[in-house]
Amino acid sequence: MSTRLIASFLLVFCAIAVWQVFSIPESTIQSEVGPILAPSILVALLSILGVFYLFTTISNKAPDCTHQAEDRPLKGGSTRVLCMLGGGFAFIVLAKVIGFLIPAAFCGLGVSMAFDAKFNLRTLLMVFSIAATFWTLFSAILGVDLGPIIRLPF
Amino acid sequence: MSSFDSLMQGFAVALEPMTLLYGLIGCLVGTLVGVLPGIGPALTIALLLPLTFKVPATAIFVLFAGIYYGAMYGGSTTSILLNTPGESATIVTSLEGNKMARRGRAGPALATAAIGSFVAGTIGTIALTFFAPWVVDAALAFGPAEYFSLMFMALVTVSAVLGSSALRGLISLVAGILFGLVGIDLQTGQPRFTFGQPEFLDGIEVTVVAVGLFAIGEALFLAWQGKENKKADVLAVSGSLWLSKDDFARSWKAWIRGSLFGFPIGAMPAGGAELPTLLSYYTEKKLSKKPEEFGHGAIEGVAGPEAANNAAAAGVLMPLLTLGIPTSATAAIILSAFESYGIQVGPTLFTQQSTLVWTLIASLYIGNVILLVLNLPLVGLWVKLLMITPQWLYAGIVVISVAGVYGSSNSVFDVGLLFFFGILGFGMRRFDFPAAPLIIGLILGPMAEQSMRQALTISQGQWSTFFTRPISGTLMAISIALLLVPNIIRLIRNRRQV
Repeated sequence: MSTRLIASFLLVFCAIAVWQVFSIPESTIQSEVGPILAPSILVALLSILGVFYLFTTISNKAPDCTHQAEDRPLKGGSTRVLCMLGGGFAFIVLAKVIGFLIPAAFCGLGVSMAFDAKFNLRTLLMVFSIAATFWTLFSAILGVDLGPIIRLPF
Repeated sequence: MSSFDSLMQGFAVALEPMTLLYGLIGCLVGTLVGVLPGIGPALTIALLLPLTFKVPATAIFVLFAGIYYGAMYGGSTTSILLNTPGESATIVTSLEGNKMARRGRAGPALATAAIGSFVAGTIGTIALTFFAPWVVDAALAFGPAEYFSLMFMALVTVSAVLGSSALRGLISLVAGILFGLVGIDLQTGQPRFTFGQPEFLDGIEVTVVAVGLFAIGEALFLAWQGKENKKADVLAVSGSLWLSKDDFARSWKAWIRGSLFGFPIGAMPAGGAELPTLLSYYTEKKLSKKPEEFGHGAIEGVAGPEAANNAAAAGVLMPLLTLGIPTSATAAIILSAFESYGIQVGPTLFTQQSTLVWTLIASLYIGNVILLVLNLPLVGLWVKLLMITPQWLYAGIVVISVAGVYGSSNSVFDVGLLFFFGILGFGMRRFDFPAAPLIIGLILGPMAEQSMRQALTISQGQWSTFFTRPISGTLMAISIALLLVPNIIRLIRNRRQV
């Protein structure tokens, strides 16, 4: 992923923000400054900054840590990132359905495998104990609502 | 009531067993997060924000103060024994501290860092105690225009003056303010940037953004790099944990000088902890009787910067408590904790929440003592924590982050946002965009907008109000100068070189 792509993402973000500014309904309350002014100024400013950033990427002045040997990732970087995001996705999909423990363990499994842990019984035991420990700490001790540790769907 | 009497009243509350227990837990947790790489005080406090619904305000702020100070103490252990500064403020400590550890003098390095942190923390807290009421008196004259100008100055300096690039700092800041505007407009009730989603009507939670950027973003970045996958190379704690006469003689002046650099610079909107630690390091190098030791493990090079770092931490609390202006990510999250309790932070805090503020300040004194007592005897335990392999450390960090965010709203939508901000944090880390301006913009931006609208309502739409009122105009002039002068100097320098 190059810096130019990031600059393009930033400009797309600005375009979406412009659309959202135009979607803000007019206020019926009499006021010197309405709800649209600050967002409009900020989106305009961000767009200008985005264009400046695009110029710096074109002149190769925008930094990317892959340009420095000591910060360059080892092989398989994208796979590791996807592995971790996969764990997060599993949590989002499953947490409401089967309770906290198993989705959180999947989430932990994704992270540990992103850090090169092997998929074996020890890893599974570790991630399940991490998930169970945090459920106990947050839900049972601190009283934060994480839902049931396991919810049976039947 | 004088500051001293109020402080004594604060001590009376802070020394109650329950409050003291929260302080102790805060110091322990703070040291833990300071020692462990990948977690910092901002992230920890953000994760604990859901507790604001359950725990009384006094106890929670004592806990947060303990975490904030504890992390400053703990950060030096990682810098000295692992040569991995947990945050930018401890980079200078690792320069000499790790060299000392490699020469078999880890004990004296840890001791001077801990005692220096205590001395500086105490000096900083004394300064906070006696200067804060003065700032409050001055700030009581502020109206919405002055507040807007002050926030504008804080936003400009945090994003454009600090950090490696003003452009990337400003992009991060403006994006943060835009994220802060998501939700219902408080004055007119109109939804803004909600995409028609009811989940966005209440705005984006600070916890989600902070934890996403700092925890998930950092974990994604380190996993992507793939270089953190082995156990850390931790140096043994060698040498006595007591300072010899010679070490003490070389350290004490550095502690005092470091504190004198740290507090005032930390208290400025553009201060931060990086500048005073660097200033302290170079001053000690200049004044040292053994300058040849610098670069090979000079004890003054650890004592001064560590003191500066801790005094700056106390300094950061000054604009936060007196003006309601956060100048670091941690301060921004503490500010959002105040908002959770419906407490208005600013000059009126000292009158309306007097007991809370003075208990918080008293707990800083007590926390310093607890940290000094805890740190050195427990250094073996902290070292053991550094042995945790990254697989389990980051699995723990991500699961606790997910649990913290999920627990605060019981919404998987927020967990999705958490990972969205995690990906954003990963990109920002990779392409060198600073994260702190985004967090500060997220919290300060909506407050600045409210002040701006109030000021314009009072002045009947006259924008000149920000420039014609003396204090506001001065603050605006300083902000514009801070934004333009470095760039003009750079341009002139480049032209001369050409």
